[in-house]
Amino acid sequence: MMRSESLYPDYDVLALQDEWDAHTRQIVGKRLGPFQFKLLTPEQQDLIKAVARQLAYEHREEVLTWIAAHVDEQLLSPLGEAQRRPGVPPQKELILSGIEALNSWAKEKFFKGFQSIRQEQQLEFLQLLEVGGLPQDHGWTVEKQKELFKKLTGLVISAHYSHPWVWSDIGYGGPAYPRGYVRVELGLTDPWEPKQVPGS
Amino acid sequence: MAERISVQHNCDHYNAERYPHLNKRKFGNQEVDAVIVGLGAAGGVLLYELAQAGLDVVGIEAGPFWDPQADFASDELHAQSLAWNDTRLSTGNDALEFGANNSGRGVGGGTVHFTGVFYRFHESDFRVRTLDGAGEDWPIDYADLAPYYSKIEQEIKVSGPKEFPWGAFHGPYPYPERSPISGNAEIFRRGCAELGIRSTVAPLAIPSAPFDGRPPCINRGFCNQGCMPNAKFSTLIHHVPKAIAQGAEVLTDCMVTRILVDKQGRVTGVEFNHDGKYYEQKAQVVIVAAFAVETPRLLLNSACSQFPDGLANSSGLVGKYLMTHSGHDVYARFDQEIRLYKGTPVLAVSQDFYETDLSRGFVRGYSLHAHGSRPLGMAVKAATNAGIWGQKLREIMLHWNYYARITLVGEVLPDIQNCVTLSEEKDEYGLPRAQVHFSYGANDQKLIAHGIDKCKEILAAAGGRDPFVVPDSAHLMGGCRMGKDPQNSVVNEFCRSHDIPNLYICDASVFVTSGAANPTETVMALAARTAGRIIREGKK
Repeated sequence: MMRSESLYPDYDVLALQDEWDAHTRQIVGKRLGPFQFKLLTPEQQDLIKAVARQLAYEHREEVLTWIAAHVDEQLLSPLGEAQRRPGVPPQKELILSGIEALNSWAKEKFFKGFQSIRQEQQLEFLQLLEVGGLPQDHGWTVEKQKELFKKLTGLVISAHYSHPWVWSDIGYGGPAYPRGYVRVELGLTDPWEPKQVPGS
Repeated sequence: MAERISVQHNCDHYNAERYPHLNKRKFGNQEVDAVIVGLGAAGGVLLYELAQAGLDVVGIEAGPFWDPQADFASDELHAQSLAWNDTRLSTGNDALEFGANNSGRGVGGGTVHFTGVFYRFHESDFRVRTLDGAGEDWPIDYADLAPYYSKIEQEIKVSGPKEFPWGAFHGPYPYPERSPISGNAEIFRRGCAELGIRSTVAPLAIPSAPFDGRPPCINRGFCNQGCMPNAKFSTLIHHVPKAIAQGAEVLTDCMVTRILVDKQGRVTGVEFNHDGKYYEQKAQVVIVAAFAVETPRLLLNSACSQFPDGLANSSGLVGKYLMTHSGHDVYARFDQEIRLYKGTPVLAVSQDFYETDLSRGFVRGYSLHAHGSRPLGMAVKAATNAGIWGQKLREIMLHWNYYARITLVGEVLPDIQNCVTLSEEKDEYGLPRAQVHFSYGANDQKLIAHGIDKCKEILAAAGGRDPFVVPDSAHLMGGCRMGKDPQNSVVNEFCRSHDIPNLYICDASVFVTSGAANPTETVMALAARTAGRIIREGKK
């Protein structure tokens, strides 16, 4: 993603953070790093980043690293995973074995790991995973593949659209508490909100 | 459990006392008049009503006593961690999602994350079997709940239109409607007007003016993530603190693991776990208000020699007839900025398609909501539920300020196959996890298709193009339905279990049908009615 793709190339939501409450500022600030990985090995981090690059269509290393850090944290979280299909392993096991399986499938087909195959090939793998169309070896049933895609996508996209650089890209006003929004009607904006640059 | 949350909370609350331990409990080993399991929409009302009547009452909540300033944030990702995330096994053609999608945790329960949309059910909702030959009739009529709807609306100063055109109640609401409304709500109303569909500003549990020391809404838009300014009503900030002031005790971070039963088959109280240790609270009456999954789960997990199939389950219907609302989102792109992130999420609604119209080819109907969004909520559901990801998602999100959204709240007919059962898998307390099965029926599918088409028409009439649909669901109801016949229902019209005279079940699990309206007001009205009954019984 280049800033030039944004309709709001001059907007930086982080420039507004002095207006945010301290708790939110602290939470959002951590997404800029540095990150301490507690579970994922560097190889696993790279695999997650390669997958995230396709799922989120994101190419900035800093944002991809945050996404991997979020996955790392979630896989170690003592909270539950809200819902799981019977017969599908718990999230941590599913994701860790799943990225390993993606790597093996890539090696079988292209003699290279998932990160090293071409972008179109990575994309094709993920499109097949979404519908359960990858080889059903080692217990990777159609349903388990679909669940892997869904859990991975949920984690990756949640993290991606929580990164303040992405908020700036899309012209999101951000946390805006305690000040809130005064002008909410169609066509109105508060003075500090992102404004589209004419002609962009 | 303490390690679940980063903020340390007190766990025992009564009078002016707050303790981070359970060594100074108000009632301790005494038998109280009533113990309530779960302090959400229903539990909060019950606690307040019973305490006000002078009963000795204890509310026990599995999650924390939230502090909005310290625990909430203006952030979607953070808010996910505040929900009931305990893993449930989910099956069926339309397997449900839980967590932040519908399950609250901590004092306030679902009222902490609801959008504040505050509807009464229609008269027809209570008579679906009679009128439509589907589902089942409730053992009560609209008229039985009407005084309690009014009471709750007054109590929390619901803000709504002067004239509400649908159902039996036409306003006015205690406080005037919200003004101004968001760009997304304006677009919705414009599209409706073009097509001759009636729309109004939404009735909301978010006062339009200062009330009870709380400020009005600042249009920050984070209703689903926990209201930081305390503008939006929740039982966390309204009923529960008021109940404590009236003498109730509240125990938090305390997971009720079992309802206790004596040899005569009456309940005697509950067992709960706090920080790894087990405690008991004895009570003359036990009220389970733990929502549509945990309520049946607790009843089933409390099976004992007197009740080997679980408590209140002689009908075999505990956990059965679980319902959701179809909650499909329809987006369309406009030539002007809408800015979905601004304002209370739901500010305009229509119930023109609520009642049965057989010419549509299905029974019952739906509500339509102009529904704002924040980036995570829109992007994640598009990716996981609609297969929109990668470059396509990125392109949409780069233009997301140009999208408007309408959300369906569609009635789902009760089906005995849709149910909560116990799985083989155990949780951290050694208790079987819930397994939830859900598939839409043929009527539900036709209703959804009709609703989606209507959303697309409204968006197109307002100038929208390139619509896309994201399947979703909202709210849970049923699992311990009420009824007159003990063989065909779990509780009676006052939410008392047919099998055990001093066991009440009072939350959305007692719903017989789902209606096509957000359920919170009906949950609270049922709780107020049940509380009144318990108080009258106690005085005899």
